[in-house]
Amino acid sequence: MRAALDTRAIVRAGVILVVVALAMTLYSAFIGNAGSDSSRAISAAGATTGTISTTAINEAPIAPLSEASAVTGVATATDPTPTHVNRLAQNVVNGVTFGLLLALASVGLSLIYGTTGLSNFAHGEQVSFGAILTYFLATSDKVSLPLIPKEFTIGLPLVVAAILAVIIAGGSGWLQDKFLWGPLRRKRVGVVQQMIVSIGLSLALVNLLQWWMGGRKMRLTTSIDTRHHWGGIEISNQTIISMVIAIVCLLAVSWFLLYTRLGRATRAVSDNPSLAAASGIKVDSIVRLVWILAAALAAVGGILLALYEQATSFDAGSRMLLLMFAAVTLGGLGQPFGALVGSLVIGIVVEVSTLWLPPDLKFATALAILIVVLLFRPQGILGRPERVG
Amino acid sequence: MDFAGLLTDAGRELFAPTTAAFALAAIGLNFHFGLTGLLNMGQAGFMLLGMYGYAITVRDIENNNGQFLGVAMSAGATVALGFLVAIVLAVLFGLLLGWPTLKLRGDYLAIVTIAAAEMVRFLGRSQSFQGLTGGSTGIRGKDFKGPFESLSPFPDRQITIGPFTMHGSVSTSWWLVIVSWSFVAVAALLFWRLSRSPWGRVLKGVREDEDAVRSLGKNVYGYKMQALVLGGVIGALGGVLWSFGNAVAPDSMGRPTTFWIWTLLLLGGAATVFGPILGSALFWTALVLVKGLAAMFIPATWLAPTQLEPFSLMLVGVTLMLLVIFRPQGVLGDRRELAINDR
Repeated sequence: MRAALDTRAIVRAGVILVVVALAMTLYSAFIGNAGSDSSRAISAAGATTGTISTTAINEAPIAPLSEASAVTGVATATDPTPTHVNRLAQNVVNGVTFGLLLALASVGLSLIYGTTGLSNFAHGEQVSFGAILTYFLATSDKVSLPLIPKEFTIGLPLVVAAILAVIIAGGSGWLQDKFLWGPLRRKRVGVVQQMIVSIGLSLALVNLLQWWMGGRKMRLTTSIDTRHHWGGIEISNQTIISMVIAIVCLLAVSWFLLYTRLGRATRAVSDNPSLAAASGIKVDSIVRLVWILAAALAAVGGILLALYEQATSFDAGSRMLLLMFAAVTLGGLGQPFGALVGSLVIGIVVEVSTLWLPPDLKFATALAILIVVLLFRPQGILGRPERVG
Repeated sequence: MDFAGLLTDAGRELFAPTTAAFALAAIGLNFHFGLTGLLNMGQAGFMLLGMYGYAITVRDIENNNGQFLGVAMSAGATVALGFLVAIVLAVLFGLLLGWPTLKLRGDYLAIVTIAAAEMVRFLGRSQSFQGLTGGSTGIRGKDFKGPFESLSPFPDRQITIGPFTMHGSVSTSWWLVIVSWSFVAVAALLFWRLSRSPWGRVLKGVREDEDAVRSLGKNVYGYKMQALVLGGVIGALGGVLWSFGNAVAPDSMGRPTTFWIWTLLLLGGAATVFGPILGSALFWTALVLVKGLAAMFIPATWLAPTQLEPFSLMLVGVTLMLLVIFRPQGVLGDRRELAINDR
């Protein structure tokens, strides 16, 4: 697998490039649509139905792609005014922030995959759950629980609410493993079957969250954010705090995995469950620990993401799910540190791509990267070369 | 307590065009999963691509005064061309998806198909392609339904048959009911014949033990690819029929839609001829019944009308879980026929 690129891979790369080039030509053709009557009719119709034209969405009109590819990696011309924001640097910073938050969420996904072989599709809901629970505990608005016709306000301070939410989320991970995944493993239910179960769980949970909170946007904090300008980038207090918390959490997880007995046992189970069991490691309790850890980390990620995006909603996590999968696959399925690397790559790519592509194509870019990576290195960046087919 | 009205609504779901469209998509998934064991989690992507292909082709011909490349097109030819474009797009999409992933383990295919389906949706709702796909609002029905509705032999008014009243030929109409169920019948017949053919037996072999089939000298990769493309095309046709009754809206074809198709396939019974059809009918009828009964019996203080939708869809998710755990073969399936395992 680690061998030099063979001809097949080169052919694949060629075809991908051709497809991308075609897509780009099409794209530029439609961007500069002074073309057919139909498109004009449609945009006129769009204007009447109140959709916003492309130029209104992006502050700056998008450069045609042919030119953009020529200036890849070159910062856009600087403005003499001191408050100018260097867009490339700004997007890289945003990307790193987003990548760190994504990493918090995906490390758990990767650990679960490594120890049990399950691609858990319900992980996105764990992310939303953390954020929504924090809102539920901290908000000064009236909240209620499903099926209980009583409104009340809890209104804890944000930090206390967040810590409580993370603890409860960890508890939800324990519950899931005790009553759902553990019994399924004991019944020797296949991994694919478990994956479909997790899809059902995801569908159930996302609708439960929507039932609980409705479709509204929820703000965890109402305070106005102060923004700092440092050398061409703009960064807000909330972002800095989020980044620091994320880095601390990730370092703690790394330390746990590398230097503690339990962490070493976790990695052993991830490498080879049967060998680990034979060496006297209690695989089942390790897996349970991993579920608790994963759910708690996902909740932390969800809370920080809600602060970073300034709002959360019932589907905040499920929108992130595919990015998490992209990050985990990119880094190598079942490699916790791979998830970290993959998340940073995905985060930076997603944010930097908005320099040349419209923002509503951010996620599509990340998914395209996922597919391209699977073409060349199915085992991901840090994954061990093994036969996966 | 309007039980009669509720039963009529539920009864209508049994033969509604939406039910047929989903049955068709599920038959496609049955080729993937039931016959070959492929975990396609992007069936909604095939559907969306199909409806874009049809709607954009027909819309542009309509806007061009029925001219296609300078040739005047009759309504029938326009519809046929639209279907052809939908099929070609689905074939290309299937080839593109299968090519890197069919050599890998099953869950890789699952992740890639779900990612690709979401990509189709993101691209479709992107502002950049507003002129082509109509952005997040999609394409309105009146822009592309004309030629299909003009082919209807039925009168242009409401027609009542028994307790059911529907329009003769516009949108969700008796005409669409007949056409879409004919499609389902043909697809079911195709599945029945093909699953008993030598080709289908190889696919079942792939599902049960890929390596054994490979050792017999069969090109497993090629067979998987054929199954993926064929199922995807059937899914795309389902998408086109769905858009005849609704409109082309990218957000109605997100991940949940794929999961519903999985649920109704597993409910009816994968790897069976009538499983997808029964599953679709049961699924949509049950959804209407659950919503109706919940609205009747659960007081509004406990469950507001706006919460009915998430409540019933939550039950769908729970149903999917219970099905896979306790009865993976569904209503009609055979346990020995369906070993869900890593392929």
